[in-house]
Amino acid sequence: MHRRKFLAATAFSALATSAMADDDKKSSSRSGSTSTTTAVVPASTTVKARVIVIGGGMAGTTVAKYLRLWGDGIEVTLVERMPTYTSNIMSSLVLTGQRTMASLTYKYDTLRSKYGVTTVFGEVVAVDPVNATVTLADKTVLKADRIVMAPGITFDTVPGLGTSDKMPHAWTAGPQTTLLASQLNTMRPGGVAVLTIPKTPYRCPPGPYERACLVADWLRVKKPGSKLIVLDANSDIVTEKDNFTNAFLGIHGNVIEYHNNAEVLSVDASTMTLYTNGGGTFKGDVVNMIPRQRAGGLIAATGLNNATEGRFAGVNVLSYASTTPGASKVHIIGDSSATTQPKAGHVANQEAKVCADALTRILAGGSPDSAPVTNSACFSTITTTQASWLHAMYQYDPVSGTMVAVPAATGASVGWNTESFKDMGKWFGALMADTFA
Amino acid sequence: MSNLSRRRLHALAATAFLVCASVGAQAQTTPAGRLLASNCFQCHGTNGKGPGFDTLAGKSANELYKEMVEFRSGKEGKGIMAKHSMGYTDAQLRQLAQWLSTQR
Repeated sequence: MHRRKFLAATAFSALATSAMADDDKKSSSRSGSTSTTTAVVPASTTVKARVIVIGGGMAGTTVAKYLRLWGDGIEVTLVERMPTYTSNIMSSLVLTGQRTMASLTYKYDTLRSKYGVTTVFGEVVAVDPVNATVTLADKTVLKADRIVMAPGITFDTVPGLGTSDKMPHAWTAGPQTTLLASQLNTMRPGGVAVLTIPKTPYRCPPGPYERACLVADWLRVKKPGSKLIVLDANSDIVTEKDNFTNAFLGIHGNVIEYHNNAEVLSVDASTMTLYTNGGGTFKGDVVNMIPRQRAGGLIAATGLNNATEGRFAGVNVLSYASTTPGASKVHIIGDSSATTQPKAGHVANQEAKVCADALTRILAGGSPDSAPVTNSACFSTITTTQASWLHAMYQYDPVSGTMVAVPAATGASVGWNTESFKDMGKWFGALMADTFA
Repeated sequence: MSNLSRRRLHALAATAFLVCASVGAQAQTTPAGRLLASNCFQCHGTNGKGPGFDTLAGKSANELYKEMVEFRSGKEGKGIMAKHSMGYTDAQLRQLAQWLSTQR
């Protein structure tokens, strides 16, 4: 209801005309931009191909931008539910009051004005992977030569939690982030907070650990005597083990109580109790319940969830085309795809560029680059003023058909410092500019 | 070989490639090294033009390549760029440096 209102009537009718007129590619002209930003990519007078991008997060926004920047006459329509994007990256800093939600909000204006992307704010209800059509909630059908899906993640239902907001995940930045921040703020000193880490693969591998460190540091100062119980469903810290182990046992040793192999099986929201697989029962004044994850609902609805026990979408990492038979016109990038790369915004941006490059070649009758390279680089908050960094580089391996991490280029900083915390701000600004500006 | 003459050679090579491509299929020519160099954009800005860490556009291919080799040798410390530089082959470093040098 709320979302539908954002379907701007003018943009939408223009799109419905151009995107649906599949047999009229040569003469179709793009609607003009209303923004004052200088267009980097002039509006094409000749549309040679059409691509629909579903999802305006880090992956979807980047692929839309780069298809316009690198493509020759590729008309790009980005379909997204919300008129603005809220960054998940850096959103744990909202919990400690170091960032505002507004500072994490991004618009699609530049995508339209500078790159000539058409945006449609609406809900996709169906994707036909064979005919490359997308059906919106109002029954409008959009048609393209290729579809790029970047619907991100969705969460498993937690038994006992239902739709209660008493145990927010705050793992998709938005109202849940604000809610968790408020719950932490009103927690009594000497209270107990619980943070749960789901089984891999989940969005942002170091994310829950860095959040635990950050919140522990904040609790130590703001809520003296409080404890943070970390319930990790995995057998061990899944990434950056040295730094997080040292931080958990060292500077946060008086606050953090870490349990491995502690998968939450069910909860009782009324008593704020969590029941784990080992028979352990934990109670918290505040519970940050991060459930297990799967690809955004459209992936399974389209039948593309053929990897990771049906949770994510298998892709050919040369082009990110679906590996589901008959769905080769659909490409899946970012967190909803199953690759050897982490599910994270920084590498999603690079996956998007590989996909955009491949599509420009494919749509012009060529083949994708046979040796793509991607990198994942990020910073983790270890305290409210210090950070560590984590890096990995991936080279395509033709034998396995996967992106393989280069050992020498994969690893973390030895320790953490204030310089890296400052670099983190710069890194974030640059990444968001490469994606949204 | 001087920077200038190397650039001329590359320009010649590019022209030759364009001619071949236009004779053959309608395939769009994708500049060599562009996709590789786009790994730099997340931190150095789209096309290496910022915002972010050091601006890369405007530097010569030689300069960019040498900087990456220095990072790889460990002369620049053990920071994230040292780690990053070790992920590329030598040929890839030359390719991405060459493409970045065309950005003004």
